[in-house]
Amino acid sequence: MLTMKDIKKVFRTDLVETHALRDFSLEVNEGEFVAVTGPSGSGKTTFLNIAGLLETFTSGSYVLDGMDVSNLNDKQRSKIRNEKIGFIFQSFNLIPDLDLFDNVDVPLRYRGFNSAERKKRIEESLEMVGLASRMKHLPAQLSGGQQQRVAIARALAGEPRFLLADEPTGNLDTKMAHSVMDLLHEINANGTTIVMVTHDMHLAKQAGRNIFVRDGRVSELHDVSQSEATDAISA
Amino acid sequence: MNLEIGPIFRAMMRNKVGAMLIMLQIAVTMTIIANGFSIIQERKALMARDSGVDIANSFHLSNVSFAEDFDMQTAVIDDLKAIRELPGVADAIQVNAIPLSGSGWSMGLQTEAGDDIDGSGTAVYMVDDHALSAYDVKLIAGRNFELTDLRWRTDNTNDWADVLIATEALTKSLFPDLTPQEVIGKTVFINNHEPIIIIGIIDKLQAPWSGWNNLDHVMLTPDRLAFRGNRYYIRAEEGVRDDVMKRVEETLSNRLSGRMIQGMESMEETQRESYTGASGMIKMLTLIMIVLTIITAMGIVGLASFSVNRRKKQIGTRRALGAAKNSIIRYFMIENLIISGAGVIVGAILTVGLNMILVQAFSLTPIAWYYVPIGMISLLVIGQIAVFGPAQKASSIPPALATRSA
Repeated sequence: MLTMKDIKKVFRTDLVETHALRDFSLEVNEGEFVAVTGPSGSGKTTFLNIAGLLETFTSGSYVLDGMDVSNLNDKQRSKIRNEKIGFIFQSFNLIPDLDLFDNVDVPLRYRGFNSAERKKRIEESLEMVGLASRMKHLPAQLSGGQQQRVAIARALAGEPRFLLADEPTGNLDTKMAHSVMDLLHEINANGTTIVMVTHDMHLAKQAGRNIFVRDGRVSELHDVSQSEATDAISA
Repeated sequence: MNLEIGPIFRAMMRNKVGAMLIMLQIAVTMTIIANGFSIIQERKALMARDSGVDIANSFHLSNVSFAEDFDMQTAVIDDLKAIRELPGVADAIQVNAIPLSGSGWSMGLQTEAGDDIDGSGTAVYMVDDHALSAYDVKLIAGRNFELTDLRWRTDNTNDWADVLIATEALTKSLFPDLTPQEVIGKTVFINNHEPIIIIGIIDKLQAPWSGWNNLDHVMLTPDRLAFRGNRYYIRAEEGVRDDVMKRVEETLSNRLSGRMIQGMESMEETQRESYTGASGMIKMLTLIMIVLTIITAMGIVGLASFSVNRRKKQIGTRRALGAAKNSIIRYFMIENLIISGAGVIVGAILTVGLNMILVQAFSLTPIAWYYVPIGMISLLVIGQIAVFGPAQKASSIPPALATRSA
């Protein structure tokens, strides 16, 4: 699903050159649930941005779903983001002036679906996260956990093959975090590949595989056993 | 292509103060611009009216005697003979008033004698048999003055000549149902009871007052003037007016003492001065329209820029969710189109409303219907141009902004 090889990302200013990723290589298979952990400044977010085609990289190669995405232009990258990748952000990133229906509708409109198709997908995805009855509510009228569920519905409405989650429970209390993680597992069980960036090791253990990033490199790979994952989820 | 009109409109309705203010600004701007443009066009049309005379090649001057024994009758005959013989002079006359100069004589003419009969107001030019040639006007019916028609008018003359030549506009107001040929020979009355026969009709000549409703009502009477002061109106041949002006001034100054030659002015200048108020209004309205348009455009830029800065994270999120750069530009352009669209619709209603008030209060011409759609389209285009810069700036917000902390 995702193959990164020797990815380098250098941020340059007039005075400083910062190597955010150095020879970063990673392979994520279809249907996997991978957690990427690491300390602050290790390059987790840079990895997520590059994996989600939100940023370009300095060198290396990146193949996503069988397509080399290393040298695409902005329009092509936007199209792939829209069609193949679903995003879940730490602070939900819902648009405050739009109700839930219109929020979930945002990526579908860019996809070019007709209104009937969009309506069906919005209703189904909000149904899936248990918020179908609150379609006309504004994000501010929901709790944090509910807002993240809306963000998940938005990410899933386009039926992406690859879900990128950036600290998806970072702004939630424990109970809500559990509920969101349960949802992600359910999504993963339905075949969607998930890469989750988190600094929370306990959360990371719930993923099928852990990747530890330090100084812009993958420093440790660790497969989580089924029992470990189950323990972590039920903890 | 998905235009997102519904979500944009709904989002705007939840955050509408700024949008409402700009919408009102656009409405007011359109109201003022459309009405201002209408007034400018009306004034321009007034200024462009055909004066009937050869404006480009004509000029006039005053001839005022100060010597007690100055013989004005002889001076006039000799002056005109000398002027007409100068090279470059097409023709010259002595006259009591100059078209569009702002000062002259007016009288009332009526078709029946009597004190209580409504007359038609007309300017009076006292001229000789060279007038039609000097003014370069066309005789469309009847005849020109002959030497036998001419008489001297002094300060003590109280009666009027027996014949007159009138403009077609004047005869139409007196005899609306008659053709020019049928008007010839008709008697009209001046000073309620004094008869004058219409012997000729000319196509066009303007009165001295450009703002007068009867600007085209002019009568010529065959009077030579023996007043202490009078005027000469001279038409030069094509393209030599300025040289002729110098020659006429030199000739008259050198010919006689005991009088002053003053106030020499081209008809171009006289016409320009006559419309000073109108051209001043045009300039002022144009300035107001330009300033208002700039302020409105700046308002649109300001609102859009504020909106972009306030929504950076949203824009980054939209980009992350698959919006291409042109989708972001389109979003802001459509948002502006909705605001401007509401503004020009309100503006169209206000334009017509204000125009009705102006027409009633100041007797202006009603606004031409097509100024409203032209105003609407212009403001929409200005809005789109103004918002393009901020929209482009918004499109350059990177999608990676979505993952950064707020």
